Amino acid sequence: MEAAPIPRPNERLLARVVPYWLIADGLGAVVVTGLAWFVARPLLVDNWKAWSPTYDNVLLGCCLGLLALTILSPPLAWLRWRFAFLGDLLLMRYGILFVEERAVPVKRMQHVDLVRGPIERLFGLATLVVFTAGNEGSAFRVPGLSAARAQELRDRIVEARGDGRL
Amino acid sequence: MTDASEPPHEGDPAPVAPRPNDVILARGHLHPAILLLRLVDVLRQVAVWVLIGVFAARWALVAAGVLFLLNLGYAVARYLTLEYTLTPEELRIREGLLERQERRIPLDRIQDLGFESTILRRVLGLVVVQVETASGRGVEARLDALSRADAEHLRAVLLAARRGGTTSAAAAPADAVTNAAATPPEPEPEWVVHRSTAGELLLRGITDLRLSAFVLVGFAALEFGDRLGMVAQLQGVARSFRDWVDRLPTSTAIVLFAGLLFAVMAFGVVTATIGNLVQFHGFTLTLRGDVLQRRYGLLTTRAKTLPRARIQRVAVEQPWLRRLLGVAVVKADSAGGSRSEGEDAAGGFDVVVPLCRLPVADALLPALLPGIENERFGWLRGSPRLVVRTTLQGALFAAITLAATWHAAGALALLALLFVPVWALLGVLVWRNLGFAHGGAFVALRHGVIGRYLAWVPTAKIQAVVVRQGPVAQLLGLADLTVYVAGGSPTRLPDLTVGDARRLAHALAQDAAAAAAKAW
Repeated sequence: MEAAPIPRPNERLLARVVPYWLIADGLGAVVVTGLAWFVARPLLVDNWKAWSPTYDNVLLGCCLGLLALTILSPPLAWLRWRFAFLGDLLLMRYGILFVEERAVPVKRMQHVDLVRGPIERLFGLATLVVFTAGNEGSAFRVPGLSAARAQELRDRIVEARGDGRL
Repeated sequence: MTDASEPPHEGDPAPVAPRPNDVILARGHLHPAILLLRLVDVLRQVAVWVLIGVFAARWALVAAGVLFLLNLGYAVARYLTLEYTLTPEELRIREGLLERQERRIPLDRIQDLGFESTILRRVLGLVVVQVETASGRGVEARLDALSRADAEHLRAVLLAARRGGTTSAAAAPADAVTNAAATPPEPEPEWVVHRSTAGELLLRGITDLRLSAFVLVGFAALEFGDRLGMVAQLQGVARSFRDWVDRLPTSTAIVLFAGLLFAVMAFGVVTATIGNLVQFHGFTLTLRGDVLQRRYGLLTTRAKTLPRARIQRVAVEQPWLRRLLGVAVVKADSAGGSRSEGEDAAGGFDVVVPLCRLPVADALLPALLPGIENERFGWLRGSPRLVVRTTLQGALFAAITLAATWHAAGALALLALLFVPVWALLGVLVWRNLGFAHGGAFVALRHGVIGRYLAWVPTAKIQAVVVRQGPVAQLLGLADLTVYVAGGSPTRLPDLTVGDARRLAHALAQDAAAAAAKAW
């Protein structure tokens, strides 16, 4: 282990990934809370004798908590997200509660995907997905890139692999 | 069933000129005796219908007849159409009558040619050949079944062809070609690395900790049956038994239950021992050239090859009982031998040595990971702060238990506070066993609570490294390092200091990148 300082990734994701995450992840949370409050609660109130205002409050708390989390987590996640393409390595560091720092040697990559979902396209975003050999944990995702940047990264990976294979 | 006209020598002058795929090294069909086995299978399928036909409805006999003919026809058609061909580049397996299927497996993707034989097949002199590749699935294709001679021939030719491929790609092509031409398919001597004695296998069975699981399963099954109430008639028996026990003096009852428990345990030990003896009977690990081979089994015999270059991780495992006795199990993960499949682990396919004394296991390592004998491992400890982490965990546990049981149990709930010292002690034990080392081309990990588990991963096999910190770990400055290899499960080094984890991760990533650059 050498004494030289260990490089940290320094490139941020595009800021417009925050509204994208809000919409893409928030949609699910809104649907879940909506179902819980407007569909499940009336059913429970009518059919379950033990239902009490305490349960009401707990359910309300859970719903509001979930909504707060979905609103808060995208900006926090964006603040923490860093990635870099340093020499032979693709580095990424992210996570709010659980912080992960990943290093993938470019030569170990089996193939590279560029993913653009419908909502992602609205925001002009792209996700780079890198696969290594292996079963568990073999896919590495870098979200929130501009389409141009994602393509540039992909081309650099292909170039660094040196054989033009994807 | 190899065509006698096709010379199996890969080194003949021919491969230089024509396209390599036109050269056929081996070609054949399944052994006809397999039809006998298929007939048995079909008869077994039809038996139920025949029984129904004889005792209840006559039409079932017709159904049985139709089913019999259809299944037998299908089996015969499959037998007739299946043909395998080995060329210097790939193994082709063609089968199917209506729906033709040809599977082509490139030779350099084949990592393991396993032989298996059930007792029925052995009587007929047949083996099932399993073509294993580095894809996550493990077994890519099965040839069920070839005669033993055909199978041996196929493997010899395949290994020779692959060796020929790698040597001609190496630095001195002229030399390699003359070498290959001069040598018959099996030129290298075979070294016996380890041969298990009956005593070792016996010890493996006795120390098999699955027996405790067996006891647990037994009790769980009992409870489950109880809850279902489906053992209504058994209940009567149980009640009379209980009455009978009630009439006995307490001491006799205790002795009786102790005896019963002992009997269950003994049954577990005996089944585990017999199971191990049968599964690993005559276990031999040999090394020929760069290929390890394991042969074992009493009823179902297995011969599994394991090219050394494909080993992703070697583990020396000592659960507490085996650690007390100073013995260990050696396992090797290879690309494709995925543990998530479950079947591989159950079949003992990752076991390299079923059981041996610890010094023997250490002495074996260079045979599995060549070059490891030259590396110096400066073992580093994990962070002692992990004890704080486990103690906090214990405190949290205690608090939850206390809060949950306070109303019901009163002062007795204070017993939950014992979680704190117990978890602290666990932390100390974990810390004492925890260690890691980065020696040149290998990274080593040691962990365990009462048992001890050692693992070595060649840095050249690393696919990615991840440093992970949970919320508590962030507060304490701890981090986990996970090393991903192709196939197999990732290796996790827990509770390092953040600095150590990041330094090690970076060094490993650099090593992996350098090794990959060389290999490509």
